[in-house]
Amino acid sequence: MKYTTFNQQSTNPLIEPMFFGNPVNVARYDQQKHAIFEKLIEKQISFFWRPEEVDVSRDRVDFQKLTDPEKHIFISNLKYQTLLDSVQGRSPNIAFLPIISLPELETWVETWSFFETIHSRSYTHILRNLFSDPSEIFEDIVVNDEIKRRAADISKYYDDLIFATQLWQTQGEGVHTVNGVAHTINMYELKKKLYLCMNSVNALEAIRFYVSFACTFAFAERKLMEGNSKIIRLIARDENLHLSSTQHILNLWAKGKDDPEMAQIAEECKEEARAIFMNAVEQEKQWADYLFQNGSMIGLNKEILCQYVEYIANQRMSAIGLDTPFEISSNPLPWMNNYLNSDNVQVAPQESEISSYLVGQIDSAVSEDDFADFEL
Amino acid sequence: MSSNDKSLRIDVVDVGAIISPSDSTILNALEAADVHIHYHCREGFCGACRTKLIEGEVEYTTDPLAFIDDDEILPCCCVAKCPLKIKVPL
Repeated sequence: MKYTTFNQQSTNPLIEPMFFGNPVNVARYDQQKHAIFEKLIEKQISFFWRPEEVDVSRDRVDFQKLTDPEKHIFISNLKYQTLLDSVQGRSPNIAFLPIISLPELETWVETWSFFETIHSRSYTHILRNLFSDPSEIFEDIVVNDEIKRRAADISKYYDDLIFATQLWQTQGEGVHTVNGVAHTINMYELKKKLYLCMNSVNALEAIRFYVSFACTFAFAERKLMEGNSKIIRLIARDENLHLSSTQHILNLWAKGKDDPEMAQIAEECKEEARAIFMNAVEQEKQWADYLFQNGSMIGLNKEILCQYVEYIANQRMSAIGLDTPFEISSNPLPWMNNYLNSDNVQVAPQESEISSYLVGQIDSAVSEDDFADFEL
Repeated sequence: MSSNDKSLRIDVVDVGAIISPSDSTILNALEAADVHIHYHCREGFCGACRTKLIEGEVEYTTDPLAFIDDDEILPCCCVAKCPLKIKVPL
């Protein structure tokens, strides 16, 4: 079906599926099929922040004090996070928007992706402060084998879905030969690609950031690189919200609350979905190995980091109806909780007590007491 | 009313029983009783404290945004309405 930016046919977005129904026409939010996405949009917008609001100037002095293995850990994590947000700042838009059928989901994806671009901008903010010319760091992201391997796995499912959608929207269902390769395009295949892609995105948001987060917060526990840690806290808060959205999508499908065909695909592809998650866990452990190849940092080593990945993975796998494959039953890094608590997220000094507030707020609550002075 | 009337018993599987003030979130009550469970946002959007509700009923103080199953609660943003039995993520 050809994509149109404004579908001229009257549709009822209350009965459309999340994906592969009619293209969205009117961006209206007065009614929602799945109200959760509207709530996520509001929450995400209330989190708005700018990297420049966080003072990272002291980090430059701290960075010079780090040992060489610690510098490797710090910079490698920034590179990996830059890769993740480079992908997430564009891919949900390109892969999902052309096939979304609900206005609230469409706007959620746009809002989500926009926040990933703020994260990308904050990595530039951090690196510019540490290096007079951060080009070398950015350029290494596309040539560093450790990062490239992860990039391939992350973008694979997106690229697959995007290509199949393009063929379907330009040529329709059937077998299409492109550059000598035959591609079977039908609704079942498209939905399967979407399902696998969503699982890959969910695994990304669920665990791929957490090795880097743990290292950042371990520096902060030693009062080092605290500006960076403040930024990463804001990013972690956003990522937690993004994760909530992919968990909702996967569960709406699996529980048959959206598209019945997606419920069937979720059942059929359970093993593949599990493999995607397990592969992400494995890659994170390998990443921990790479980070600590030159030596550990105080308060953190490879073993405890891998245990934390397993602990988080158990939690996130059970949230989407998968088993909990890892033995670990208690949190090996309990101090991480303090950094991921949104009440502790501080943007500007005047916000030390509250993490969200409204601009130009009007007190519109009226109680019976307010009429006490009135007489009729 | 004595202050005892405003407290509710919460049975935590594998941990023991705690007494929760009825106006305290279940997460705060657990922590006050030295039961430390997994949490992140404390605002109901991340789902880190997702807990199985085996018996009883809770009331949300904040609309929960994280995904929870029908038999699950987010202790960071709800209060007990009656005595509860729960299984927490340690």
